[in-house]
Amino acid sequence: MRKMIAGTAAIVTAAALALAGCAPAAQQSTTAAKPMEICYITAAESHAYATPANEAFKAAAKDAGVNVTMLSQNFDVQTGTEQLNTCVSRKPDGIVLWPLDPTAYVSGLTAAKAAGIPVVLINTPMGDKAMELVASFTGPDVTQEGQMSGEAMNTALGGKGNVVIIAGQAGNATTIGRTDGFTGKLKDLGSAIKVLQTVNADFDQQKALVASRDLITRFGDGIDGVFANDDTMARGFIDAWKEAGKDMKKIPAIVGVNGQKDAFQSIKDGEMVATILQSPVEDGRLALNTIVAAAKKQTVEHRIPIPLTSVTKDNVGTLQPAF
Amino acid sequence: MNALRKIGDSSWFVELVRVRVLVILLATVVVASVTVQGFMDPGTIGLSLDRMSTIGLIAVGLTVLLIAGQLDLSGGAVLALAGIVTISLQASLGPGVAAAVGVLVGVVTGSLNGLLVVVLKINSLVATLASMLMVRAICHWATDSHPISGKDPFFGLFVSTALIGPLTFRTVLFGIAILLLWVWLSRTVSGRNLYAVGSNAVSATASGVRSNLYLFGGFVFASVMAAVAGTVQSLAVNTGSPAFGQTIVMTTIAAVVIGGTRLEGGRGSALGTLGGLLTIAFLVTAMEYQNVPAYVQDIVTGAILLLLIILDSAVSGKNHNLLTIAALKRRLGRNQTPPEGITQ
Amino acid sequence: MTQTTSSQAESRVMVQNRFSNVLQWIAVPAGTVVLIVAGSLLSPKFLTMSNATNVLINMSISGIIVVGMTFVFITRGMADLSVPATAAIGGILALGLGPALGTLPAALVGILAATAAGCVNGLLIGYARVNPVITTLAVGTIVLGTAQAFVGGVIVYGQDPQIKEFLTSRLFGVVPVIVLVFAAFAVAGHLLLSRTVLGRWSYAVGSNPDAAQASAVPVRRTKAAAFALTGGLAGLSGVLLGLTLQTARPAIGTGYEFNAITAVVVGGVSLLGGSGSVPRAMAGLLFVQVLTNIMVLQGVPTEPQGLAKGLLIAGAVALDVWLRNRGGAK
Repeated sequence: MRKMIAGTAAIVTAAALALAGCAPAAQQSTTAAKPMEICYITAAESHAYATPANEAFKAAAKDAGVNVTMLSQNFDVQTGTEQLNTCVSRKPDGIVLWPLDPTAYVSGLTAAKAAGIPVVLINTPMGDKAMELVASFTGPDVTQEGQMSGEAMNTALGGKGNVVIIAGQAGNATTIGRTDGFTGKLKDLGSAIKVLQTVNADFDQQKALVASRDLITRFGDGIDGVFANDDTMARGFIDAWKEAGKDMKKIPAIVGVNGQKDAFQSIKDGEMVATILQSPVEDGRLALNTIVAAAKKQTVEHRIPIPLTSVTKDNVGTLQPAF
Repeated sequence: MNALRKIGDSSWFVELVRVRVLVILLATVVVASVTVQGFMDPGTIGLSLDRMSTIGLIAVGLTVLLIAGQLDLSGGAVLALAGIVTISLQASLGPGVAAAVGVLVGVVTGSLNGLLVVVLKINSLVATLASMLMVRAICHWATDSHPISGKDPFFGLFVSTALIGPLTFRTVLFGIAILLLWVWLSRTVSGRNLYAVGSNAVSATASGVRSNLYLFGGFVFASVMAAVAGTVQSLAVNTGSPAFGQTIVMTTIAAVVIGGTRLEGGRGSALGTLGGLLTIAFLVTAMEYQNVPAYVQDIVTGAILLLLIILDSAVSGKNHNLLTIAALKRRLGRNQTPPEGITQ
Repeated sequence: MTQTTSSQAESRVMVQNRFSNVLQWIAVPAGTVVLIVAGSLLSPKFLTMSNATNVLINMSISGIIVVGMTFVFITRGMADLSVPATAAIGGILALGLGPALGTLPAALVGILAATAAGCVNGLLIGYARVNPVITTLAVGTIVLGTAQAFVGGVIVYGQDPQIKEFLTSRLFGVVPVIVLVFAAFAVAGHLLLSRTVLGRWSYAVGSNPDAAQASAVPVRRTKAAAFALTGGLAGLSGVLLGLTLQTARPAIGTGYEFNAITAVVVGGVSLLGGSGSVPRAMAGLLFVQVLTNIMVLQGVPTEPQGLAKGLLIAGAVALDVWLRNRGGAK
């Protein structure tokens, strides 16, 4: 009896395989010029910055008549490296990768280069060895974002004071870039600003809220400034400050990154002092256009930045939030 | 409803349920080959298998533990720690020795788990939750939450490049492991003893089996396999990170359970685990190719897991033993006709 | 009256029993007192009103879930790993449907959806007798995926700042509203477990399911109820989180299941069922929160705190097992 089942199953499978074998041949004869295939490995699907970037990417692809297969790493590096291998084996015309780690993807990038598939990095840079393997890195310079934040903080505090840093996901290239850029810039400026503590809140408002409660308890009014790796976490600190019943007029100088709508409002209301505007729409669109160009074997710049603007009370009225 | 009952009563359906793992696997393969162009290419298959191998190595260890009736949640943290050790010691010990030390990490963590469960008699769910927290903490503390890179990114390339045909080194390693597991479970006395320990550790001890030794050994083995997976993984990407392995344990448990191994212990097999792993691997690869969003992938995987454990429950008796066909038919038949004095 | 050897032995056992019982009862509260002393010595900020309030606020969301997890443990339901998913579905639906239905009705829908998921768990675990760990895992995965599919996989933003104002405000300027909500549910849970028939049934089912069955206790329904309750409570937590933050992501509930298990275990509620209580679980929760608070004030980074938590769990359970073996249960 069991043999009969197994036998039937085997025959069905064989039939399916035969069908599958026929299918691609049929497809090739009916389509004339195949649209370009791009494999896009994004950081996450549900994220304040990533979601509009992804949407922009897909919209630009539609305009260019290009097919996109989007895979989400969901902030897991391991998954990303495996997805990169999957992409390479599909032999697309181009790959766009959002790296969550400075070196982990090197073996996949090597395989892509060997297969002649151009790769463009979006939003976050990688280490030197990796940069040699890619056609281009488009997007904001996270280190520059950190440096601009450092400058804004230095100006706001008049060159001295105590700050806390609410950093993103530990080990993430954006976190490292922005934080190191911030502290590096302060050093360059010869600033007397001291970092009291750095906490990780994974770019999450809720985690930032919990961490902020503890920071406020620990340092209280001793905090002169807060550098949050992104506006979402800055919001968490503002909520915690309000929740602690503290005086909103005495809120520390908060600097965030992203240029979100609510951050713009906060700057107008005096809750935040600065944010660094970067457009996820620009990010996504630029990456797509660059990979299409690279796939068409056109020469592309190795480093294509998107413009960054420091937004403070002075210019907040003249600019549009990113999202 | 009557038609359903008729189907439920017929022999072929009952048989189908018994070989449900194979059925689900074949169904997945069929659907994948039809919907995804080029799925059956050796390159794509090799890729699916390579992806599955990291989970597979951990699954081999977990299968042994689950058969013994225990759980281990610390696999992901051990994977990360082994990777960190492997990469960080490369400079001082050379890559080969460093990798060996990475594997040895599993012995240490496995012994910790064994100590907590066997000696201190803490429930394995809680004990391995505790060890998971501790090992993960050590990972972050040791690296200051930064991932670390190895010296030579090309040393570890061999792990994920094709070795035998489309199969990578990692896949071959997994293949050897699952083969050895199969031989041990089905053909040796100690393998059979494991099932006894899982069904009822007390009576196994009474029959002369040293249950505590099996349990302790099981934890060490599971941790060592997780360490091997972590070492290999870190070599492949030339990075040791405290963030690795966050979700891998749950996925592995799902694969092993889909393969028919029960969490209560006493049942399971190497082939079943292989079937469960292949199903998940093919499913994920196929869904990714089809641009299926991550949350839909979750729904599909969760649904298959649920379906299988419900079916599994349906074919199991009171003591979680697999019912014979006759008993199954009686049970399904009982829903239709009033009991005719047939007891189970 | 001469003491025979057997009664000498008996009284030794009785003293041991009493000692173990007393130790079981005072271990966690005594430990908390020790912690508080240590904390105040380590940091001047520790023993302040604002810090204490912070600890209570941090406890509140977890605390609601802990009530449910206590029921699950006591009925020998092992653990409910679908908590992150049911919390997320509560938050996502509350915010997603807010504009269309109004904040409170949307919140109610969120809680109902989470309870429904809990009922599915309950049916499978209580009636079909499938393993709780794997069931809640599978159901949780499906539920979360469905919630995300419902909102198209993006983050949901809230549009009702007033409810946020309310939830983050303080009664008489001192007691945070959210702590009051938590306290209300903790008390309700305690009363349910200690003074109702369902509570008695829960203990019976957990300590001896066969005997309970023989005494006409509806074993399956009781077990199912524990999971339905946990689902609903997790959904409520998710709703509160979503309304307070005015954003809801699918990962909003991550980690709450293990936090709850930690609290319950440290409080001395046994995984094997049949013993423990809501106050004990709360004591465990308080202990863990105070410990975390001390570590944070000392500047210990988030992840390495896990070392202390892990040791704490292992120590608490080992102590509990040892005490059980020495004396009577409960």
